[in-house]
Amino acid sequence: MRTRRPRGRLLAAAAALALLMTGCSDGPARDDGTIRLRFQSLAWQQESVDANKELVEEWNAAHPDVQVEYVQGSWDSVHDQLLTSFEGGEAPDIIHDASDDLADFAYGGCLADLTELLPERLRADIPRQSWETTTFGDGVYGVPFLQEPRVLIANTEILETSGVRLPTAERPWSWEEFRQVTKDLTKTMGKGKYAVAWPLKEPVSVTLNLGLSAGGRLFHRGQDGKVTIDFRDGDGVVPGTIHDQVNVDRSASRSTLGMGGSDTLPGFFGGKYAMVPLGFSYRQQIAQQAPEGFRWTVLPAPAGPDGPAQGVSPQTLSVAQDSAHKKEAAQFIDFMLRPQNMVRLAKGDWMLPTGTQALGDPALHTEKDGWATGADLARHLRSAPAQAVRGYPEWKDKVATPAYQEFYSGAIDEKELKERLVKDGNLVLARYQR
Amino acid sequence: MISATATARSGRKAARSTGGTVDHGAWFLVLPALIPILVLSVGPLLYGISLAFTDAQAGRTEPTEWVGTLNFQDLLHDTLFWESFRIGLLWAVGVTVPQFLLALGLALLLDQRLRLRWLARALAIVPWAMPEVVVGIMWRLVYNPDAGILNETLRDLGLGSGQDWLTGLATALPAVIVVGIWAGMPQTTVALLAGLQNTPHELHEAAALDGAGAWRRFRTVTWPAIRPVALAVTALNFIWNFNAFALVYVLTSGGPGGRTRLPMLFAYEQAFRYGQFGYAAAMGCVMVALISVMLAFYLVGRLKGGEDA
Amino acid sequence: MTALRTGRAGRAGQYAALLGYLVLLAFPFLWLISTAFKPPRELGSLHPTWIPVNPTLANFRQAFDEQPLLQAAGNSLIAALAAALIAVVIATPMAYTMARRRGRLTTAATGWVVVSQAFPFVLVIIPLFLVLKNLQLINTLSGLIMVYVVWSLPFALWMLVGYVRAVPGELEEAAAVDGASRLRTLVSVTAPLLAPGIVATALFAFITAWNEFFFALVLLKTPEKQTLPVVLTHFLGAEGVADLGPLAAAAFLATIPSLVIFAIIQKRITGGMLAGAVKS
Repeated sequence: MRTRRPRGRLLAAAAALALLMTGCSDGPARDDGTIRLRFQSLAWQQESVDANKELVEEWNAAHPDVQVEYVQGSWDSVHDQLLTSFEGGEAPDIIHDASDDLADFAYGGCLADLTELLPERLRADIPRQSWETTTFGDGVYGVPFLQEPRVLIANTEILETSGVRLPTAERPWSWEEFRQVTKDLTKTMGKGKYAVAWPLKEPVSVTLNLGLSAGGRLFHRGQDGKVTIDFRDGDGVVPGTIHDQVNVDRSASRSTLGMGGSDTLPGFFGGKYAMVPLGFSYRQQIAQQAPEGFRWTVLPAPAGPDGPAQGVSPQTLSVAQDSAHKKEAAQFIDFMLRPQNMVRLAKGDWMLPTGTQALGDPALHTEKDGWATGADLARHLRSAPAQAVRGYPEWKDKVATPAYQEFYSGAIDEKELKERLVKDGNLVLARYQR
Repeated sequence: MISATATARSGRKAARSTGGTVDHGAWFLVLPALIPILVLSVGPLLYGISLAFTDAQAGRTEPTEWVGTLNFQDLLHDTLFWESFRIGLLWAVGVTVPQFLLALGLALLLDQRLRLRWLARALAIVPWAMPEVVVGIMWRLVYNPDAGILNETLRDLGLGSGQDWLTGLATALPAVIVVGIWAGMPQTTVALLAGLQNTPHELHEAAALDGAGAWRRFRTVTWPAIRPVALAVTALNFIWNFNAFALVYVLTSGGPGGRTRLPMLFAYEQAFRYGQFGYAAAMGCVMVALISVMLAFYLVGRLKGGEDA
Repeated sequence: MTALRTGRAGRAGQYAALLGYLVLLAFPFLWLISTAFKPPRELGSLHPTWIPVNPTLANFRQAFDEQPLLQAAGNSLIAALAAALIAVVIATPMAYTMARRRGRLTTAATGWVVVSQAFPFVLVIIPLFLVLKNLQLINTLSGLIMVYVVWSLPFALWMLVGYVRAVPGELEEAAAVDGASRLRTLVSVTAPLLAPGIVATALFAFITAWNEFFFALVLLKTPEKQTLPVVLTHFLGAEGVADLGPLAAAAFLATIPSLVIFAIIQKRITGGMLAGAVKS
């Protein structure tokens, strides 16, 4: 009982003050004729964050009347965050995302149709198959600007001593050859070591994107425009190969199935795995973290009868439908994606630009760090099959992710995988297509 | 049941201490709290229930319409939701029961005159005071397959090379349950300890003089005394655990492959990731209804048992 | 706390059990602290040690560089402070009424206190989100504070009713007999006796709000508005790429305020929480 004086009034006053303060700070910025735009970037690797921030600063210096504020977003929560932001009317003006995340926002009327807003230069610079990734219905709802093929990052030492044929972008391994190579390679490596480590914490996009090379599609649009899921022979090739590597040949590590890409790197550096299939941009982490003297190389992913085709979901820049200054926002996007700027962004993220001019930049064709191999693959990249489908994100998270994970770990067979992907999947899709 | 007795008690006192003149004053005192409660708690709850009968979705292209019980019919066929519900029950029981037993043990120890008791009391509040997010982060560090202390300890003890606890299909749920137990133990301990300290000493001593062993003393003296508290605490814990969110969100986000996707996480994703507000509201309704029914059975059963004893 | 006869073996068993509990309770937290002070090389090591070989503060620096921790802490502070103060200010009169009077309103309020514990948040958050959206309060601390106030009311009422009952009604009656007005009685007799309980309740509400995650996650959209727990999850990063050192450092810092406050009010909270349950 040390406190003697009643404090009610003081508390009330303080509380009111606090509310008032927060209330004020929530208000719109002062009105001096300057247009203020918010640009939410998802860049997370330091070089890439720096590149984005520099570009924003250059824009701001050149355009005193249109000031852009850099807002940091994060990939792992972007969908939830954008959805609630759109609902709450708090969405940033310029939105960085990936094309496979846009369908629900585009169909939901949250994103601006850019068809009329973008200059001809940009439209012509980016190839048609890239624009397809952001076209929903009749509108274009984002500018695809960076993309990455899946590649095999390999321990040069182990591959050279084994004497296997090294694949090139012109002559990649076929899926059967890949399976045979990993089988042979594992035998030469010794106990507890594996030819390949599949990091499959997020198995769906890897499976679908690589599956395209073997003719996998999974999603089929019917006469009535409604999308349904069907599992055909081509859809089984890539999953089957991975499954057999893990469960039959034991040429792929079981323990990496639940890991994200970065988690496999210590084992890769330690010589536990000869190859890790990763996104092209992981080279940055490898270049930074590899121990002294560690030699690594970039190989193209295996190909099917259709060549090394791969699905990609490029990173995109979009404009919010609610933005009061769509024209200026589109101009900012145009500025960000000028060829030389696109190169800077690409280098910052260790990815490939979609723009034809930017892709021609010699800096992206060096042998060092495997840039050349990736750049050669660029023209084989096409729109991932599922991404224009409404309800795909839910299907991916709830149905496909567990189904593939259990299939890869050997818990279920192909029949059950098929049944779950198709039956449960169509129930989900139906809810979105009433 | 606790509040009922409490109300009755205060009622008696009120009848003595005040006349009938302050009725308006009472409203004046109550309104500041009542209005926010009505506007931001009761109102939204009713609104939420009504949403369950609509096709409310994120996005602005289509107006919301009444769809009757369509959401509930969908839900009936949604095997994933029922799987999630099953996981939720497994989690809630798996956390509540061991939590109660461990907390009871700790409370009994703390009720003894032991050295280091102060330290245990101080430490016992740590999990309680921590933000749930931090608890989640902390255990992620413990469970980390390479840099974590758990696998390192197992390796030191020669118990194999360890596990990917949070990403393994078989280990994820048990691993998360352990964290749930750890995080909720202090509240339970404190509640039980207070109950214990209310046990009349004389009874203990009398029982001891009678030569009753520890177990018998516990059965005949301690347990009856803390029974009401224990009942209330387990019931509340069960509900809280069933509604848990932050811990699992941080630890696994429902992975691997949905093995730890608790119903709350499921409904959250349905609403705020996929924008299916109406469907998510229907899930909320079903969850409340089922849990209430279960709890009612539990409490009625327990209370009856108490009368028989 | 009786000194009952317990065999020597029994005592030893008790100490062993207590030791077990101590280890169980302490080790994750110690590991967090240890991780927070480890340099990257040790974090990447396949044989981690309990005590950092080369302790470093770099993780803390990096944590502040990577995420707006100070701003987030400021947001958390404003939200928790405002929520706690408002909750206590509006809950105290109601708790007083509930404790001293009987009536349908009191019964209903008590019922609500109990029932509200059983709501799944999700059933409340969806409509709340839509309501706050119409009020333009999404992504504002004001909106979050309103939610926190209502959300902490049940517990605040619960505790305060207990504290009010602990103040004997006879004291108030005596003052009334002495001719003091009702208001005077409240201010000069009841309030001072109630003050410590009110402070404890406010502090408890503060910690609850400081630690809260779910509502903040849903309602706050831009990094400069987000509270500490939400910002902490940003360290987890994409595809589970967690930078363990800064993550641990930031998590450790975020815990300190809660721990300090909790240490101060621990006794009162346990008393208040159980006042209703045990004393009746």
